[in-house]
Amino acid sequence: MKYLGWDELIPGAILFSFSEEMEKDASEILPEDRPYAETNSHEAYVGDWRVLKPVYNRDLCIDCQFCWIYCPDVSIISRDKKMIGVDYDHCKGCGICVEVCPTNPKSLLMFEERIDNDDALAQWPEKE
Amino acid sequence: MLEIRWHSRAGQGAVTGAKGLGDVVARTGKYVQAFAFYGSAKRGAAMTAYNRIDDEEILNHQKFMSPDYVLVIDPGLTYTADITANEKESTKYIITTHLSKEELLESQPKLKGKEVYVVDCIQISLDTIGRAMPNTPMLGALMKVSGMFELDYFQNAMKTVLSKFPQKIIDANMAAIERAYNSVK
Amino acid sequence: MAEKMELNEVEVWDGNMAASQALRQAQIDVVAAYPITPSTPVVQNYGSFLANGYIDGEFVLVESEHAAMSGCVGAAAAGGRVATATSSQGFALMSEVLYQASGMRLPIVLVVVNRALAAPLNVNGDHSDMYMGRDSGWIQLDAFNAQEAYDMTLMAFRIGEDPEIRLPVMSHQDGFITSHTAENVRPLSDDEAYEFVGEYPAVNPMLDLANPVTYGVQTEEDWHFEHKARQHHDLMTKVFGKVEEVFAAFEKKTGRKYNIVEKYDMDDADVAIVALGTTVETAKMVAEKLRKEQGIKAGVVAPRLFRPWPHKQIIEALQNVKAVACLDRSSPNGAMGALYNEVAGSLYQCENRPVVTNYIYGLGGRDFTVEHAEEIFKELAANAEAGKPTTPLQQFIGLRGPKLSFY
Repeated sequence: MKYLGWDELIPGAILFSFSEEMEKDASEILPEDRPYAETNSHEAYVGDWRVLKPVYNRDLCIDCQFCWIYCPDVSIISRDKKMIGVDYDHCKGCGICVEVCPTNPKSLLMFEERIDNDDALAQWPEKE
Repeated sequence: MLEIRWHSRAGQGAVTGAKGLGDVVARTGKYVQAFAFYGSAKRGAAMTAYNRIDDEEILNHQKFMSPDYVLVIDPGLTYTADITANEKESTKYIITTHLSKEELLESQPKLKGKEVYVVDCIQISLDTIGRAMPNTPMLGALMKVSGMFELDYFQNAMKTVLSKFPQKIIDANMAAIERAYNSVK
Repeated sequence: MAEKMELNEVEVWDGNMAASQALRQAQIDVVAAYPITPSTPVVQNYGSFLANGYIDGEFVLVESEHAAMSGCVGAAAAGGRVATATSSQGFALMSEVLYQASGMRLPIVLVVVNRALAAPLNVNGDHSDMYMGRDSGWIQLDAFNAQEAYDMTLMAFRIGEDPEIRLPVMSHQDGFITSHTAENVRPLSDDEAYEFVGEYPAVNPMLDLANPVTYGVQTEEDWHFEHKARQHHDLMTKVFGKVEEVFAAFEKKTGRKYNIVEKYDMDDADVAIVALGTTVETAKMVAEKLRKEQGIKAGVVAPRLFRPWPHKQIIEALQNVKAVACLDRSSPNGAMGALYNEVAGSLYQCENRPVVTNYIYGLGGRDFTVEHAEEIFKELAANAEAGKPTTPLQQFIGLRGPKLSFY
């Protein structure tokens, strides 16, 4: 982001969420269609804050949406109540999604960053 | 500039009286101030309230005052408060008491030789308003002694000031003003 | 729809009633308040107007002054016209949030009924709380009587809310000496007053869902300085013109003329008192008297606008006098008085530097008398004659015990 001079700032240090005025409430527009402003945290990549990453297993998931509700960083991607995956640009690896996942075995598990997602799925544990 | 000091007990209506007087006087185009000394005053504590009245805008905001009139609306304060503080030779005293003027001067010799008027605002308010509320009768007495306004004019103006009260209370106050006006000596 | 109140051409109001009537007439959306002496009646009267149907807005009773100003910040960011009132300890508790309000450029109006700060505890008037607000980024207007408390409070909305300005405004009056002294006040009618203040021009409101906005962001050393500079720039360059514009519009409506720096008898003055609050009027009366009785060419200068500091106007008002006394009604606690420092700082830039001295007076409501003003003017006349201070630079007046003075 370009550093602005004092005379270029919006008074009050306020930040707009979007780069243009929208015709309807943002909650009715899908995130990928929203005109996020450059200063919106959506535009900032914080994926490298993670030590461990959650990996998602579609075969086990029951689409209960617990992970979507509990994720503190809106990093679970879900459309029409169908779980799609994890937003690795914003997920910080807190592990809450794994904690709340009710399936057996879990549909989300933490793996080291260096492990490829396909390899992770290949070593998924059995039902307990 | 006319300056008035009220001696009262908190709760006897000196501030209301001073503001009421200010309200009436302001309607005639004059400028007024009405204020009081507050502290941690509780009902019953001795206190003072003040009026300034002038034809021109009042710029003087000092609290110090050499009053033209001293109005004492509680009988006991004649003996316990410093009612002659900062007096001038011409200061006039209107004092609430059940005593005659001669008896009053005997009981409080420091008032001897001064222009003193007596009126029993406590008894008047008990008889008319039904409780000890000596502020409006004192205003009636002040009108008589000062000649500031005719009784009729003052009563009419006070009716407007008191207009938020029930008619019964307004009537009682009018009676109190009139009796004090006629009985101050 | 709120009911209208029938007002007399001349009302006998104390400063508190004058301020609460101005708040009522401005048709505020949200008042969040926690009452404190001597400003309690501002809030109390407002509550009574609301209960009797004269106000449409919300009245939020909160648990502290910190919460009161926080509520105001939230409501103002949401997009409403907002005001509250406080004094002294309440002002101090509010102080953290005062900086939030100005930094977010929220045009809240705060009626400050000036009162001393404890300890020792004191409910009476001095300027300690007003001085405490001077670096908070607010615009500070000062009233010298009840009429002006009404006028300044009304004008505060129009000044602060202007989209060019967007800054919060304090409307100051002296505790008790103004707030509890009933005087003649000529109010505008409800319609005239609202027409003068105008509809609230919302700017970037949080409740605009089509254009969501964040208030209260964090900036570190990479952005903070620029934002503070932007705010200071607007205070220093935009406010003076806007205040003059609003004063002119007010004069047109009411005939009452106000100036950023008020000058009385200053055309040919040799000596001048600079003061704030009710003291200005007492000093003005004494200046007139001394001119008549003793031929001292005395005048009075009073900043109507205390923040932003009217540097140019102060120089213009005082550059031709020989001696100036700056009267501070607040304990400077280890320095020269604030008014002395401001005035001396401005006058250092003019060619003919008058002799400037400092008087500390009136703390905790101690009476400022005609006699005090006379004494100061006489000392100023001696300073003017000598061309240098004939007294110590800082003196306490109206104080018991041995004479207290410094430098």
